Amino acid sequence: MGNTKKIQELLMSAIFEVFEKMFFVFLEPVDEDVKYEMIASINFTGSMKGNIDVFFTRDLAGAMVQNMLGVDESGVTQKLIEDCVKEAVNMIGGNFLQKYDSSKVFDLSIPVFKNEAGMFAAQEIAVSDNAWNLSFESNESLLGVKMRIS
Amino acid sequence: MSFNVLIVDDSSAMRAVIKKIVTISGFQMDQCLQAGNGREAMEVLSKNWIDVIISDINMPEVNGLELLDQLKKNETLKEIPVILITTEGSSERMQEAFNRGAKGFIKKPFLPEDIKKILHQVIGVSENGEYKEDTRTADECDF
Repeated sequence: MGNTKKIQELLMSAIFEVFEKMFFVFLEPVDEDVKYEMIASINFTGSMKGNIDVFFTRDLAGAMVQNMLGVDESGVTQKLIEDCVKEAVNMIGGNFLQKYDSSKVFDLSIPVFKNEAGMFAAQEIAVSDNAWNLSFESNESLLGVKMRIS
Repeated sequence: MSFNVLIVDDSSAMRAVIKKIVTISGFQMDQCLQAGNGREAMEVLSKNWIDVIISDINMPEVNGLELLDQLKKNETLKEIPVILITTEGSSERMQEAFNRGAKGFIKKPFLPEDIKKILHQVIGVSENGEYKEDTRTADECDF
C-alpha cells in the first residue's frame, strides 16, 4: 500500500481530535510500550476492511471518565470506564474512516471491551504496510493504538 | 415552553454527557428520559410524551436507523424530530438517514455548541428560548 504514511497521519489526527474534544486529554506520541490493563476493539467493513484495538492503562481510562463527565475519582465506576473506552474506539474508528474517504460508507461493529492486564500493544503484530502500532503519553499515562487493514 | 427529551445511546457515559450538555445549554428541558437502544426507546415512547429524540446510530438490538423506520410507521410518533449522533459522517450515510426521517445530525466527537445549535434548529426554538416555526425547505437545512 503506497499511502501507508498518509493513513498513519489520518489515524493520528483522528486520535488527537477524539481525545482532545471528548476527553480533554492531550496526547504526545512516544516510542514506549507498556503493559496495558484494558482494550477496546472495533471492526470496520466497506471499501476497506480492518480493525482497531486501543489499549489503556487504568489511570488514563479513569482520567477520561472524570474529564468527560466532570466527576471526581469517587464517581468513576467500572461501567463508566468500559463505556468511555468503547466510545473512544468507536469515535476513533468513525473519525479515521471519515478522514480517509468521506464519500464512502463504512460499517462499524459494536465496540468490545476486554480487561486484559499485562498486555503489550506491540506484542502481536509487526509494523507493516497493512498494520500500524502507535503509542501516546499524557501526564505519564499511556495509550496504545493498533490498526490492521486486510 | 419546555420540552421532553429522549436520549438513546448504548453508552451510559455518552447519555450522561449529552444530558449534561443539554442541561447547561439553556435549552428549556422539562424531562430527560433515556434508553439504551431503539427497542428500549420505543418502550419509553409508548408511555411518555417526547418532543425531541437524540439518538446514536450504532447500537445493539435496534439501531438508530431502524428506530427511524419504526417511528415512521407509527402515526402517533412519526412527527417527533430525531437528531442522530454518529461517528460515521459519510454524505451517503447522512442522506440515507435523512431519507429515513432524521431531522439533524451531530458528528462525534462533538463540542457542546454543536448539540445546542442543532437542538434549537430542529425544534424551532431560538437560543434565547423563543419558539419560532421552521420555514426552511429540506435543501436549506444544514445536514
